[in-house]
This record gives sequence, C-alpha cells and structure tokens, in this order.
Amino acid sequence: MGGTEGHCTGGATKQTLHLFHGAMESLLRPPRAVPAFLVVPVRTKRRLFVPEWARELPHEEKEKRLQSLIRTLPEERMERTFYLACTASIIDPYVPPEGDARVTSLSKEGLKQRMEKLKQTAASQLALRKVKDHDPNFSTKTFPEVAQEIYVEAHNSLANFNKQKLHSLVTERCYPDMVRGNRYKTIRWSFVESLEPPRVVHVRCTSVVNQGNLYGQVTVRMHTRQTLAIYDRFGRLMYGGEKLPKDVLEYVVFERYLVNPYGTWRMHGKIVPEWAPPKDPIVKTVMIPGPTLDPSQEYEEMK
Amino acid sequence: MELSLCESGWFAAGSAFPLSCIHTSTSLQKLGKWEKKNRIVYPPQLPGEPRRPAEIYHCRREIKYSKDKMWYLAKLIKGMSIDQALAQLEFNDKKGAKIIKEVLLEAQEMAVRNHNVEFKSNLHIAESLAGKGHYTKRIRLHGKGMFGIMKIVKCHYFVKLVEGPPPLPEPRKTGFDQAKEYVQQLRSRTLVHTL
Repeated sequence: MGGTEGHCTGGATKQTLHLFHGAMESLLRPPRAVPAFLVVPVRTKRRLFVPEWARELPHEEKEKRLQSLIRTLPEERMERTFYLACTASIIDPYVPPEGDARVTSLSKEGLKQRMEKLKQTAASQLALRKVKDHDPNFSTKTFPEVAQEIYVEAHNSLANFNKQKLHSLVTERCYPDMVRGNRYKTIRWSFVESLEPPRVVHVRCTSVVNQGNLYGQVTVRMHTRQTLAIYDRFGRLMYGGEKLPKDVLEYVVFERYLVNPYGTWRMHGKIVPEWAPPKDPIVKTVMIPGPTLDPSQEYEEMK
Repeated sequence: MELSLCESGWFAAGSAFPLSCIHTSTSLQKLGKWEKKNRIVYPPQLPGEPRRPAEIYHCRREIKYSKDKMWYLAKLIKGMSIDQALAQLEFNDKKGAKIIKEVLLEAQEMAVRNHNVEFKSNLHIAESLAGKGHYTKRIRLHGKGMFGIMKIVKCHYFVKLVEGPPPLPEPRKTGFDQAKEYVQQLRSRTLVHTL
C-alpha cells in the first residue's frame, strides 16, 4: 500500500502526509483476503421454468401441458368461503286453487279439488324422483306427519325463544321472518288440533351456483286450529287471545339440502294466497301520517 | 376473478351470492345503565290486573353544555305532560332547550314505534335528570405569563316517559294544616309508667 510521494513542505509534515495517504488507501481498499478469481453472479429472476426434455416439443404438446396446468391452478381465490345451507326464496311457488277450504268436499267442485292430486303435475313428479334418489326413505305418505311435527316444534321453540333448536328446525331464510320484532315480547302459541290431515301438494328441486348442488322444496297443505297471544314488553295483550282458537289454512314449504347426507327437512316459508281472509287488526290504534300541508291550506279543502 | 372482500361489497343486491360481512365485533360502545332499562320484559298480565303503564327511558350522552345550566331545564320539565314540555322548550332561549326538545321527540317516536304506546300525547315526564359528562382540561392564558386550567364541560341528559296523564301536584301544606297536625300530636300523647 505504498502511497505516492507528493510534494512535501517540511520534514515533519512529510511523515504525516504519508500516513494520511496510507490511511486513505486502506479505506478505499480494505485489507481483506479477496481472491482474484471471485465472480459474483448477477442474473434476472427465473420466471418460467421449462425442463430440458420439454424444451424442443412441438407446439400442440406445449399447448396441452399449458392447459393442464391452468386447470390444476386455482382460478378463484376465495378469501372467505361461504356455505349456502338454504335457497333464498321459494322456487316456482304453488298457486293454491281458489276457495280451497271454503267448499265442502261433498259437492262437485270439492270432489274436483280432491282429485287434483300430486300425480297430475309432471314437474312435481320429476322433482319427487330426484328427491327420492338422494333420500330413499322419503315418501309422500309419511312426510306430512313429520312436517307437522316440525311445524309444531318450531313454533313452540319460537314461543320459548330457544334459538338453537329453532335454527335446526327452520332455514336461515325463514328465521328472520319468524323472529323479527319479537325480542322484547312474550309469545304464547299452542296447537289445538289438526282439522284435516296434512298432505303434500307440490315438490320442486333446484340447484344453486353449480349443477348438481340440489335443494329440494316440498309444499305441505295444513288446515289446523291454533291459539296465539302476543304480549308486549309490559305484559299487555297486543294481538290475539289465549283462549281464542282460530282455524288456519296454510301452505308451508319445507326445504332440504339434498346433496348433504346429514341434511334435514326444515321449514322454509309459507305461501299465503290472495283470497285468504284478512287477519284480525291489532288491539291498539295506529296513526297514519296525512299529507304535508302549507300553513295556508286546510285538510278539509284538500279532500 | 380475484375479488377482495372490500371489492365484493360493491356488488348490487342482484347477485346470487350472499355477501359475507366481516363485521364480527360486538357493539361499538359500552351501553350505559339508562339504555339497558329499556330491555326489561315483564311477564304477561293476568286479566284482572290494572293495565301497567308503559315506561320509556331515553338519554343523550356528551352534550356540550354545563350540567348546572342543564339542571334548570330538567327541573322545569319534570312532571309536565309531553306536549306542555315541548311547548315550553320551544320558546325557551337557552341552548340546552333545543337539545332536550330533540331528545323528547326521539323518545316519543321510539315509544310509539317500539314500545306499543297507543297515543303519543298520552305520555308524561316522570324523571328528567342532568348528569356530568367527561371533562377535558385545557390551558387558558392570562396576562403577565399567568395561566389557568380551563375545563371543557359536557353533560348527559336522561329522561323517563311514562304513559298516562301527568300526576297532580301535591297541594302545599298550609299553616292551618300544620297547626292541626300539631294539635293531633298533643292529643295522641299517652302517659307511661303510671297507674
């Protein structure tokens, strides 16, 4: 590391200049054991790796391999997967015939209605076959009783606010309809008797998202007698009465996720026909807001 | 089709997929005792019992006003019917009057919608309180390099509405009543430790 001898002025400064030069040189070239033949490799990032045996393939084979890779790689990155346990609505809702429970079954029209059995509708038969594929124990003769039991259990657990049981008996689409507004109220419901034996009226099957992701929906016609009393937060009667039985004709839809081997039949919704009699009014009077008036107008003039 | 969760939130309601919501936290603020009083549920009344009047609790927290000044307005309203209270507050010049009026209207709306109150005028104010909110301290500069610690003052306002006409105010005790009571006391004395 000998430095060049620059022009020096005095004897004492010559040595210092030497030392200064030497220090600078040592800073620039650190005294490490650096082999002369070391090569630091610098290259770009490896993007696509093609093995040697595949490098000289014809074009079609390369395309085939590319396609197979695309199929194995995941296309959709699902950051949070979701599981659809029920459909969002009633598929192809059953249209109940007019005057269903109004006409006695002894007259001609009543007989006609009774003859409208499940076997007439072809779509229902198709769907029934699909349901029986996945659930061999299903039968239109035994199912209505099971359905009525589920119905009664669901309403009882609604009255007792047993949420876990209600979730297992009722689908996620039906649960908010049943439970909304009831949090601070007391409900008393009881099932008196069934006026007519329930029967299956309508069967449909759908698949959601993918083909083969089957959900089965069965509509059961129930004609029953029930009592309902709803009390508000302070224990005052809001609707109905505990000792007032009412006749109720309903078309209740039950659904099951057929592809799931542990799926169960759960209540999915109700079909209320347009010709159904109107419900009783609630006990209290409700104010309906009128039209907004200018200070100069009066309501009687507007009418 | 790589969608992040925030992007998938922009989908319209017409999509077939139910949107997964990541709002997994509990309520944003801790509920105070006054708010929880609206949650008690009474058992159903028997047919012979008198009808229980509805009670609605409402409050507003952290109002930028002094609790001492708010107390005057709270004391003004206590015991009035809701219509009378709203009328008095509308023509009161204080800042707190406007705020209390908003609170009363909110409470009335809540009563009719959620608590099964039939007539919105059939309410009276059973309790009306003002409480201290959180104070923050700041420096207030005076002359000659002196400073004082200023308190930025906030208050809470609580109100309890009860269904029914307002209770009649108790009649004041007159001098004659007091005298009668005194005479009654003297007459009701008994002799002890005697034959």
